[in-house]
Amino acid sequence: MPPQCSPPRGGGSRHGGLATREACGRVTVRPVERPERDLAVQVYLLEVLTGLGVTFRHFFLNLGRHAAKLLGVDGEPGSVTIQYPEDPPALGSRARTRHRILRRPDGAPRCAACLLCETVCPARCIRITAEESPEALIEKRARTFEIDLGLCVFCGYCVEACPVDAIRMDANDLDLPAFDRKDMIWDLRRLMEET
Amino acid sequence: MSVLWVLAKVAGGLGFGMIWAAFLGWVERKQSAVMQDRIGANRADILGFKAIGLFHIIADPIKLFTKEDFVPQGVRKAFHAVAPSISLGFPLLALAAFPYGGTVEFLGRPWSLQPVESPMGLVLVLGMVAVGIHGVVMAGYASNSYYGLLGGLRGASQMIAYEACLAATMAGAVFLFGTLDLAEAVAWQARMIGGVLPAWGIVLQPLGFVLFLIAGAALTKRTPFDLPEGESEIVGYHVEYSGMKFGMFMMTDLIESVVVASLATTLFLGGWHVPFLTAPGVSGAGVALPPFMGSALPAGLHGPILAALMLGSFTAKVALVLFVLMQIRWTLPRFRFDQLLDLGWKNILPLALANFLVTAWAIYLAKAWGIHIWG
Amino acid sequence: MANITLNGRPIETPDGTLLIDVAKTAGIEIPHYCYHPALGNPGNCRMCLVEVVGFPKLQPACRLKAADGMVVSTESPAVLAAQAGELELHLVNHPLDCPVCDQAGECGLQDYYMEVGRYKSSVSEDKRHFDKRKPVGPHIMLDQERCIACTRCIRFLGQVTKTAELGMFGRGCSERIDLAPGKVLDNPYSGNLADVCPVGALTDRDFRHQVRVWYLDETPSVCPGCSRGCSIDIHSSTKRPWHNEGRRVARLKPRFNPAVNGWWMCDEGRYSYKTLDQDRLGKVLRLKPERAELSWDAAFTELAGRAGELLEDKGASGLVVVASGALSNEDWRAFKKLFVDSWKVVQFVFDPAPEQTGAQDPLLRRKEKVPNLKGGEALGFGTQVKSAPWETLECSIEAGRIWGLYVVDRDLTRVWGAKTAELLSRLDLVVFQGPFKGGTGDLAHYRLPATATAEEEGSFTNFEGRLQGYARALAPVGCALPDWRIFEGLLARHRARRREG
Repeated sequence: MPPQCSPPRGGGSRHGGLATREACGRVTVRPVERPERDLAVQVYLLEVLTGLGVTFRHFFLNLGRHAAKLLGVDGEPGSVTIQYPEDPPALGSRARTRHRILRRPDGAPRCAACLLCETVCPARCIRITAEESPEALIEKRARTFEIDLGLCVFCGYCVEACPVDAIRMDANDLDLPAFDRKDMIWDLRRLMEET
Repeated sequence: MSVLWVLAKVAGGLGFGMIWAAFLGWVERKQSAVMQDRIGANRADILGFKAIGLFHIIADPIKLFTKEDFVPQGVRKAFHAVAPSISLGFPLLALAAFPYGGTVEFLGRPWSLQPVESPMGLVLVLGMVAVGIHGVVMAGYASNSYYGLLGGLRGASQMIAYEACLAATMAGAVFLFGTLDLAEAVAWQARMIGGVLPAWGIVLQPLGFVLFLIAGAALTKRTPFDLPEGESEIVGYHVEYSGMKFGMFMMTDLIESVVVASLATTLFLGGWHVPFLTAPGVSGAGVALPPFMGSALPAGLHGPILAALMLGSFTAKVALVLFVLMQIRWTLPRFRFDQLLDLGWKNILPLALANFLVTAWAIYLAKAWGIHIWG
Repeated sequence: MANITLNGRPIETPDGTLLIDVAKTAGIEIPHYCYHPALGNPGNCRMCLVEVVGFPKLQPACRLKAADGMVVSTESPAVLAAQAGELELHLVNHPLDCPVCDQAGECGLQDYYMEVGRYKSSVSEDKRHFDKRKPVGPHIMLDQERCIACTRCIRFLGQVTKTAELGMFGRGCSERIDLAPGKVLDNPYSGNLADVCPVGALTDRDFRHQVRVWYLDETPSVCPGCSRGCSIDIHSSTKRPWHNEGRRVARLKPRFNPAVNGWWMCDEGRYSYKTLDQDRLGKVLRLKPERAELSWDAAFTELAGRAGELLEDKGASGLVVVASGALSNEDWRAFKKLFVDSWKVVQFVFDPAPEQTGAQDPLLRRKEKVPNLKGGEALGFGTQVKSAPWETLECSIEAGRIWGLYVVDRDLTRVWGAKTAELLSRLDLVVFQGPFKGGTGDLAHYRLPATATAEEEGSFTNFEGRLQGYARALAPVGCALPDWRIFEGLLARHRARRREG
C-alpha cells in the first residue's frame, strides 16, 4: 500500500475518524433499550443450572431411547443422524448433483463445444478444447472436456448456459471424493458413461 | 518390598490418569453426541464389531502416533520438543499423591493404597499442576508464532488466576480437616453428623465445593474456559504442533480434569469412603468390612475385598464429577477473556476467602463453646 | 459546410458527407452491414435506414449525403421498426448457430439484435441449406448459410486486391457467395475477408474453434513483419492456457491507420504469430567451452570480460557485429552506444539480404522483411557505417582476420548453409542474442535470450520514416530481456571493468 493511503497512526486516527463522521453528518445515534440485568441474571449460576437441566434432560432421554432400541423396543429414535454412506440421504428432485453429459441418438456427446459453460462457470472448473467435427451436419465438437469436481461449486450455471441441453447435474451422485486430485477431474468419457 | 509396592502404586496412579484420559476422549464424544441428539463416534471396528465406538480409544492414539510430526521452521527446537511433556507430565505426576484407598490388612501386613504418602499431599498436587502451566507458556514461546505466543500468555494468566482461586476454595475444607495430608483428610470425612449424614466436605463446605468446581473447570482450560485454545475458533498455544505432541496437549486437558475430579472426590466427596458401609467408629488405618459383610466372607480375603471396594468407590466418585464437568463443558458457551478474569479474581477469590473466614470463625466458636455435632 | 439536425442536435459537417459518417463522428452508430468506409456503399442491406424530414420514406444513411437544413432522426419509432424488420428478414435464412460460430461475440447480427431485434420471429418456414463448411482458400472458410449477402467480400476482392475470387451466384433465396469457377482464394491479403465479413460467413481457418473471442485481450502493436509497419492489434489468450493449442497469441488484426495500412494487413504478417511460442530461448546459456546456465549478472560480467580481453589483445577491427532491422529504435540506440561508441567496432552487417527479404507489392508488402532499418539509418547505420557484404565477411574469417562475431537475431546458417559451423569454429568468441532457438544460436559461445516484439515496449520507424510505438502484450519467456537492456547491461559491465583497470 502506498504510504499516503495508510491511515494516520495512534490517537490521530480516532480524532480524524470522528471529524470525518461529523463532517459527513450522516451518522445518527439511536439508544437501544437493554433489558435490565437483575441479580439472578448477574450471578449466572441459575442460568447455568437451567442450561444444564436442558442438556441433562436430553442426555438421559436419548440414553433411554438408545437403550430401548438395543433392547428391541420400538419408539422415538435417540438421534437424528443419517448414517452416510450406508444410509444415503434422500435428495430432492431438484438437487444439483454430479454433472453428466448427455448423448445424441448415435451415442456421441451432445456437446457442441461452444464454451458457454466454461465461460459462465464461476469456479472455473470446466476446461474444454474444441475441434472440427468430421460429421457432415455437425461443425464443432469437444476434443477434451474436463470438469474438476474438486473446484466445482455446484451452482448449476453450466446447465443453465448450455444451448443444446448437453450437460445436466442430475447424476444423483454425491460420492465424489478421490485419493488424488487428478482423479477429481472428470473427462468426457467418465461424464458420459458413469451415470 | 515396600519400594516395589510404592513404585507399583505410583504406576497404578499414573495408569489411572492415562486410562481415564483415553476413556474420556470417547466419553467426550459420546456424551456430547447423546445430549445433542446425535450418535457420535461409531466407525472404528475390529472385525466388524463396533462396541458402541469404544475402539476409538485405540484408533485415536494410533492416528496421532502415525501422523506426521511436523516441526515448523524457526521454532526453538528444544523448548518446542519438551513443552508437551511438561504440560502433560506434571499434572500426571499429581495423580500419584491421591489416596485411592485406605490401608488394608493382607497376608499379615498393612498395605496402603496411597502411592505417595506425604503429609503435604495437597501442596504436592497444587505444585505439580502449577508446574504444568510452564508447558503451555513454553509451547507458545517456542512456536515462533504470534498466535501461539498470545495463546500461551492467555493460558498462563488464566491458569495462574484459577490456581490461586482453587487454593482459596479449598482453604475452608483444609482448615476444617486440620491437615494437608490427603489420606488424613479422607479419614476425617468418615465421621457422621448426627449418625446419619456423612461429614463430607460437600456437606460442610457447600459454597466451597461449588467454587472449587468452577475454578477447577477453569484450570482444565476446557469450555467455557477454553480461551488459551478454542478448537476451531481461537488459535492457541499449540497451533504449531502436530501428531502426538499435539495429542499430548489435548490429553493434558483431560488429565487435569481427572486431577480436579480426584481432588474434588478427596476433599469434598469423602474420598474412597462408601457411605454407611464403613464400620462404625473406625477410620483411617483401622478400616474393616462392616460386620454384615465381614461375617459372610472368608477372613483372609477381607483385605483385597476392602481394597476393591475402596478403589471402586473412589473411581465412581471421580466418574461422577467428570460426568458433571463434561456436561458443563458441552452446555455453556465460552466466556470472554475479561469476563473470565473478572470471574476469577473479583468473584470466586473473594467468595472463597469469605467462605474460609466464616469456616475459621465457626471452628473457633465451636471449639470455644464446646459444640460437637459429629461423633 | 452543411448544418443539419441529428436526433435534435445541431451538427455542422462538410458538404457531401454521408449521413452514416456524420452520425459516427457525432458518436451515434447507425446499424449497417454492407457499408464499409473503404469498400463503398451499395445500400443493399437496408439496415441504416433513417428518417429525414421531408422524405416520404425512410432513407439509407449510407447513401444519403448531408445537405444544409436536413433534420435526421436515427431513433424514431419508424426507424427502430424498420431496423427490427430488416433484421428479421436477414435472419430468415440465417442458421442461428451462434454457439458454434467463431464470430459470436463480435457479430453484427448479434450486436444489432440485442439493440433493435424483434425477439419473436414471425417466420415459421424451414431455412434454406447451402454449403456450411467450404474451405475457399488456405486461410478462409466460407459458410454460405450464415451469409447475409452484403457483398463486402466481393467488393474487397474487386477493389482492393483486384483478384475477384468470390462472386454472387443464384437469385432470390438461392443467392449465395461462392468461388468463381477455377479460382482459389489464395491472394496474399485473403485474411482480411474474415475481418470484412460482418457476420460469421467468412471465418479464419487458423482461428477456427481455437478460442472464443470473449477470452481475448487486445493490445495495440505494430507488425514487425516488414518495413511497412502496419498498425495491428494483438489478440492474446493467456488466462486459459488450454485454449488455442497453448499458444499465447490467438490472432492478429489490422488496426485502422489511414497513414500506413488503412484497414488491411497482409497474410504473411497476420499469420506470423504461430511461431511465436515455438523454440523460444528463455535461459542465459554459455554453450562453449563448457555448457552452463548463467544469471544475467554473471553473463554480463563474463562476456564483458572476455570481449574486453580480446578487444585489448587483438583490436576492435577483428570483431564483426551482425545486426538486424528487427531492432527497435531503443535497441538501435543502445546498440550504437555499446558497439560504436564504447567497443569501437568498425565492421557491421545489417543488410537484410538475403534471408530477411521477400515479396513486395504496391498495396502493403515491402521487400525487406524487418520493421526498422530506418531506425538504424537515423543513427548512421547505412549512411555513415556501411553494411559489409557477407562474402567479405566469409573471406575475412577464412583469412583469420576476424576473431569474434556478435549476432543479433540473424540466422547465419541461412546465408552460409552447411559451412557455417566450420566458419564459426575458427572464431574466439561468438555471441548470439535473439528470441528463438536454432541456427546460429546453437553454434555460439554465448546464447542470450531476447524478447520478441509482442513482449516488449518500443517503437519502429517504418520505411517512410514514420515513427510508431507499440505496447507490451505478453510477458517475456523465461528470463528474456529486451535487446536494449542486454546492450546496456554489457555496456555497464564493460565500463566498470575499464574503471577497475
